[in-house]
Amino acid sequence: MSIAGISAPIRRGEFSPGTTAAIATLIAGAICLALEPLLPWLVQWPAAWTLPATDWIGVSLTWFLEGVKPAARAFSEGMRYPMDWANLALNGTPWPMLIGIVTAIGWVVGGLPMAALGFFGLLFVLASGYWLESMNTLALVAVSVPLALILGGAIGILANEFPRVKSTLQVILDIMQTVPTFAYLTPILLLFGFGPVVGLIASAIYAAPPMARNLILGLERVEPEIKEAAIMSGGTRIQQLFQVEIPSAATQIMVGVNQSLMAALSMVIIAAVIGGFNDIGWEVLLTMRKAQFGQALLAGMVIVVFAILIDRISGKLATERKRHDSRVFLAIIAFSAIFAVALRTYLPDPSELTLLAPVAESVDQGLTDFTRANGAWLGAFKNNAVFFVLLPIRTGLDQAVLPFTWGFAWTAKMSALLFITGAVSGLILAWQGRLISGLSLVIATGMIETGIADLPWPFVLTGAAALGWVAGGRRLSLWCVGLLATILLSGLWERALLSLYLCGTAVIACAMAGGLIGLASFFSPLVWKIMRPICDMLQTIPLFVFLIPVLMVFQIGEFSAFLAICAYAIVPMIRYTRHGLVNTPEEMIEAAISSGANKWQILRDVRAPYAAPTILLGLNQTILYAFAMLVIAALIGTTGLGQSIYLALAQADVGMGISAGAAMAILAMIADRLVQGFAEERRRVLGL
Amino acid sequence: MLNDGNAAITCRNLWQVFGSGSEKALADALGESGGNPEAATLQLQKTGFIPAVQDASFKVGDGELFVIMGLSGSGKSTLVRCISQLLPGTAGEILIEGENVMGASQKRLTSMRRNKMGMVFQHFGLFPHMTVAENVAYPLRVQGKSRKRRLERAREVVALVGLEGREDAFPRELSGGQRQRVGIARSLAVNPDIWFLDEPFSALDPLIRRQLQDEFLNIQGTLRKSIVFITHDIAEALKLADRIAIMRDGKIVQIGTPAEIVLRPVDNYVREFSRDVAKGQHAKVASVMKKGSGPCGPDNPGLTASMTLDTALATCMKCYDPVPVHDSGGNVVGTVQPSDLATTLQADTK
Repeated sequence: MSIAGISAPIRRGEFSPGTTAAIATLIAGAICLALEPLLPWLVQWPAAWTLPATDWIGVSLTWFLEGVKPAARAFSEGMRYPMDWANLALNGTPWPMLIGIVTAIGWVVGGLPMAALGFFGLLFVLASGYWLESMNTLALVAVSVPLALILGGAIGILANEFPRVKSTLQVILDIMQTVPTFAYLTPILLLFGFGPVVGLIASAIYAAPPMARNLILGLERVEPEIKEAAIMSGGTRIQQLFQVEIPSAATQIMVGVNQSLMAALSMVIIAAVIGGFNDIGWEVLLTMRKAQFGQALLAGMVIVVFAILIDRISGKLATERKRHDSRVFLAIIAFSAIFAVALRTYLPDPSELTLLAPVAESVDQGLTDFTRANGAWLGAFKNNAVFFVLLPIRTGLDQAVLPFTWGFAWTAKMSALLFITGAVSGLILAWQGRLISGLSLVIATGMIETGIADLPWPFVLTGAAALGWVAGGRRLSLWCVGLLATILLSGLWERALLSLYLCGTAVIACAMAGGLIGLASFFSPLVWKIMRPICDMLQTIPLFVFLIPVLMVFQIGEFSAFLAICAYAIVPMIRYTRHGLVNTPEEMIEAAISSGANKWQILRDVRAPYAAPTILLGLNQTILYAFAMLVIAALIGTTGLGQSIYLALAQADVGMGISAGAAMAILAMIADRLVQGFAEERRRVLGL
Repeated sequence: MLNDGNAAITCRNLWQVFGSGSEKALADALGESGGNPEAATLQLQKTGFIPAVQDASFKVGDGELFVIMGLSGSGKSTLVRCISQLLPGTAGEILIEGENVMGASQKRLTSMRRNKMGMVFQHFGLFPHMTVAENVAYPLRVQGKSRKRRLERAREVVALVGLEGREDAFPRELSGGQRQRVGIARSLAVNPDIWFLDEPFSALDPLIRRQLQDEFLNIQGTLRKSIVFITHDIAEALKLADRIAIMRDGKIVQIGTPAEIVLRPVDNYVREFSRDVAKGQHAKVASVMKKGSGPCGPDNPGLTASMTLDTALATCMKCYDPVPVHDSGGNVVGTVQPSDLATTLQADTK
């Protein structure tokens, strides 16, 4: 089997799977388009055909949740103690002491650079005046991470010891990570009631999968001979596991700890949406709502500082074996203790420090000036993007082209002209032997005319089935159709298409821009030198913080959401594109050079095909990132599933929250499997 | 030949077949073919199973150094893993000091590993998070021996393999040769009677390999373990072995002393192996002499039964009549015609 675009011309009368799939999709589209005026249910799934699945889920879940509520509440009461202790420990310790401890830990783990990072990072937090809020957030992380590690560790060991349950557990882990973060919150909210415990539980659940995954991976990768040596030494299974296998997998496990920490921090901050308790996430949300962007930015920076500190220090644990001199560690701690005791009466209360308040104010002022000065072109930029790009993709040229924006009205004649142009170009391409490109062009023309949000559902199902068939055969095809059908039946179709539209547009934008930046980073080391820390930074920042800058400049609305999604989702595309291009085996390059290929020819004929599977994986990551951000972006104005999830949270509507979350997860999983299928196929073709 | 009384390890009709439901498939295949292993193997391969070890039978005597040699994929590593029960074995019998370990309980196996068996691995299998001393002491740690006692024993064995002073190093700080010394020390920590070595020197440089082989022979000279030694290197096999089993595609094709393998290969496959080997260095006088005190010429150049053919040939260059052969005590045990020495060596070089 070969995939679209690479299939060689085949015997007359026989099409490659790609061609067959494209033709099937085209026919389905054409039929729908022709019948649309007669049969409106082709576009709009009739409400009468909808199963009240959302209500069923709501009723049965509520019933179930009511049942376990007493236990949950008791657990929540129990968790109060460790949370109080963590709070007491972090808030009760004088701040010089805490700064000293973090600096000292930084020293042991990573020497002077890490110590400096810890010291100046916390100094910034102190100066920002958000010390108290930060410590509240940290206390939550400090309690939720051990819970997540225990939970993830237990799942990982279970999967390792019982191969039968392994595949089931991996599916569960997949789902735990694809279900959008907000969707978790609604049932947990019902179970545990308002309060910090919700954030705690949600982040413990959200942070467990990375730990489980890395533990499974690490244990799998322990050399077989090491495992055998443990057996031959006469260890019992428990001894083998805990004395040999787990310690041997320590590096991979530390990667898991690092990812768990970051996930927990991200979730704790997001959980502020349901009502804060004076933590830093709440502060960001509050200031954002009041349009105090200077303050919001400052609080956001505090989050970023914590994210970087936690990430870099725990990341060092996974990579470096060297530990630095412990005497310096003790000296730093001793010094900070003496400092704290000696100056205890002079120490200012950290929450009254407002050293950076003027900065925030001037940012606000500067922003006002900036928008006043540049408002015209910023507004024009935004409007152009919305009216000429986003809206046509969403509702199609037939509805987006209005006299008010485009200066003329769309007529049926124009549609006909567009289709004819598309068909003729498609025919020309087909004539040149690029049958699949020609067919795809015609399909794309139809989609632009109709708009993604108005696509007839039979067309979408056929398209998904066709893609699934090409990417992974009959099973994947059926799987895609089956899952999409559940969305259709549950009545979430329109919202799903809206989500698909925003995500798809963002992904395409990311793929183009990220691909280009990746290419530039490949050619120019200087570009990469600049891009690399930016990418690191963008990947470390909790999702929430992305909203602040776009909101500052473009206000609430779909365009801001679009930008926030792009900013977050572009990183994998850049990284993987460059990585794929750089890592072409040296031998192949040398073979190409000695065949007399120039730099461009090597790129086109050797590096690009070889990098294709890697770049596809980057695209896959970009898609998953986009879906993750989509829900967060609902905070600043999107329509579709994200909004439903967010609203369900506000109304404590479990049925809607879970169904919309599941629909979102379904979309993400389908995209994931399709792209992975294509990547797998490419790898197989290359014999990797 | 050896009998069961002094055999440390006895394998009878041992099979290891990979694939789910292999036990039944093997029983069926053997039943259909009337117990013919070749036919059963073909049958199994046809139905998608992998018969990695087929009908292996051999004995390893007490204190014997038994080498299993074969190319990669010939099933030699699988075979040693069956004997040590790292793999369960599909059918057959494995007696270790008379006790059948096929189907023995995990508990019994663990106890045997703690007292009777040691194993050395090709890529060392050292625990990366433990120091040399902790690695070596690990088999004692799982038995709950006190820290003091096990580190004391570790020091002894580490000294035995010549690594004194490196007790506190981590495996990553050692060279390949040093790492394998740690592996050897660990396998000897519980002073086992039975010693498995799975290509222990294959991952090492030629020079280091020779050095370790010599030291290994020295250690074996004093400890007299019963050994199953796996290798793909015919020179190594000939140098170390008391007896050699040659494996091909999961089957043992020949078992014999180094001289038998070199001088009387059963088929072309075995002959190919020994082609580039200087036979004179491996075959002993004992393998060509006539036993008993036959007619002798007047010369007595002082041949002994354990002398290699090369040395013997050099000593009796000028003799034409049969000469006597002595044992290590100086008694005459047989005679040899000097020209036979030369013909034996030339047998294959036509």
